[in-house]
Amino acid sequence: MSALLKKDWFGLGLVLIFGSILISLFKPAFISPFNLYVLMLSVSLMLVVAMSQMIIIAIGQMNLSVGAIGGLVAISFTGLMEVYSMSILPAVLIGLLIGLACGFINGYITVKTGISAFIITLATLYIFKGMNLGITEAQPFYEIPEAVKFFGNAKIFGPIPYLVIVPIIITVLMWILMNRTSLGRYMLAYGNNVQSSELIGISSTKIVIYAHVISGLLAAIGGMLVVCRLQLGTPNIGDSWLLPSFAAPVIGGAILAGGKVDVIATAFGVILVSIISQALVIFKIDPFFVQIFLGFMILLAVFINRYREYREERRTKVFSDE
Amino acid sequence: MNNKIPNFVKTNQFGLLILVIVFICIFSFSTDGFTSRFNIYALSRVVALDIMIGLAMMVVILTGGLNLSLGALGVSAAMFGGWCMESMGIPISITIILVLAFGSFLGWINGFVTVRTGVHSFIVTLATMSIYFGFMTLLTEAEAFRKLPEAFTDFGSLKLFNKYISPLLIISVLTCFVLYYIFKYTDIGRKLIAAGANPDAAELSGISVDRMFIYCHMLSGFLAALAGIMLTARIGAAIPSMAGHLGFDWLLPAFLAPVLGGTLLSGGKVTVFGTMLGAILVTLINNGLYLIDVGEFWVRFFLGIILLGAVLLDRAREYFTVKNSIVS
Repeated sequence: MSALLKKDWFGLGLVLIFGSILISLFKPAFISPFNLYVLMLSVSLMLVVAMSQMIIIAIGQMNLSVGAIGGLVAISFTGLMEVYSMSILPAVLIGLLIGLACGFINGYITVKTGISAFIITLATLYIFKGMNLGITEAQPFYEIPEAVKFFGNAKIFGPIPYLVIVPIIITVLMWILMNRTSLGRYMLAYGNNVQSSELIGISSTKIVIYAHVISGLLAAIGGMLVVCRLQLGTPNIGDSWLLPSFAAPVIGGAILAGGKVDVIATAFGVILVSIISQALVIFKIDPFFVQIFLGFMILLAVFINRYREYREERRTKVFSDE
Repeated sequence: MNNKIPNFVKTNQFGLLILVIVFICIFSFSTDGFTSRFNIYALSRVVALDIMIGLAMMVVILTGGLNLSLGALGVSAAMFGGWCMESMGIPISITIILVLAFGSFLGWINGFVTVRTGVHSFIVTLATMSIYFGFMTLLTEAEAFRKLPEAFTDFGSLKLFNKYISPLLIISVLTCFVLYYIFKYTDIGRKLIAAGANPDAAELSGISVDRMFIYCHMLSGFLAALAGIMLTARIGAAIPSMAGHLGFDWLLPAFLAPVLGGTLLSGGKVTVFGTMLGAILVTLINNGLYLIDVGEFWVRFFLGIILLGAVLLDRAREYFTVKNSIVS
């Protein structure tokens, strides 16, 4: 039990459970099948996006181009199917390849030049978004195969959508990557301290490029999932990802300096953000409040994390005095 | 060291100056309208704003941080100004003072939270960006203030120097000189740089680093509010969407100008005139791309490529200067 208490996600989990119970007591509509279905859809999409940012936070960097990659892949995916009447599987593969290439460009330039990832991904954000607008001329693609539409809207049973399968697989894989593989541990070591990780023989080139490639792939998957959900490929997919992509890992307790991320806590962060956004809608609160609320949530999470660090510091001091 | 080449040639301000001249030559020969009175006037109005936004970002980069809330903050301040003038009927001069104070206050919030939590200002300003913009949209109900005093809007469309230059540009250039003076010759300016360059050493030599960081954020808020007022004067109305969703349209010029100008992202170095040249270069390229007619949708793509090219060039320049100085 005490081991459980120490986990990043434990507090968040409690907040989630009590919060949901409280909301459903006031508004029973909250646990209606339709609402749960909408909730799961929004969680599914944001989970992938959050993971895409989380892996970059793990190595102590930021990726501003997550949304731009998602958007570029989304319109390529739909464009290939509509204009070149490609079948679904090759279109998905090419979409993933584009995501991989975008991530590789980010990682390669960042690690080879030593320029901050923030600036590099700001530049590539404009490049990818510019390509997106240049190709589509801001026009959406509407012709989506029925199978894709089905995957985006059908339910397995009860309120559970098919769409939820992908994020669950990704979350499990990410958990294994970060907790059970040497690559994941190396990433955290690199994020914690670049110099010492190089001294023990970790190749920065490899770590940074791998992290960005995974981030690009996840952003690509996120973009394609949004296409399934919306049933069309619009150029503005991904425009609004930046804030939520950072919100979930930060609320989940990832320290932005790198070296510490928690996959489960990030997942809880996503669920928390989605539940709150949903609750604000159910209580008929102005949608602009959702944005303000998200901002305050991030600040609150930041303060709580700071307080916990402070408490931990004090505790370790007491031990060293003994 | 080879002393025959003056030091100025090795700085990236010099490289920027060359680039600016090269681009002016290219655009004036390859396009018709570039040197027309109308285009130069239009350029001066845009440059004025880009310089101010760049400076607002520069003073936060000095601390090794970033200010994502720049656009949201500037627009919020501008909307506050519009409300003061239109709904409250407050005179222009007092409104400007109130707006600048309001901007500084929002900047203070950014600085205070950053310093107290010890979290990177990226996350803090990401959060405040959505908070400021959200509150602004709620309070104004996304309505613009269009009935501003004529004296105010006339100033924005005034033409000076044989109708070539907008007075807004003069404000920006003056601000550059004032900032240069502050950072170069005043006690507080040197303390700000010291705090950014090496916080531990600054703390040990008796400078309150936290306070200096908060000052930097306040200065950033002040300059962003000034940019907001200038944009309002230029458009002739205070519109919630004038800097795009969440003020994102300001972010690229805000980062381009100081980064091109040679401001270190790790903090501790400011280049006021480098930022000015950077802003001029960005505006030139943007304007030139439209005149060459690359297509509206590809402009962003080329801006991204140029930012990437510029930082890579800067890196190469650094590399070669280091190599040269070792060899000789």
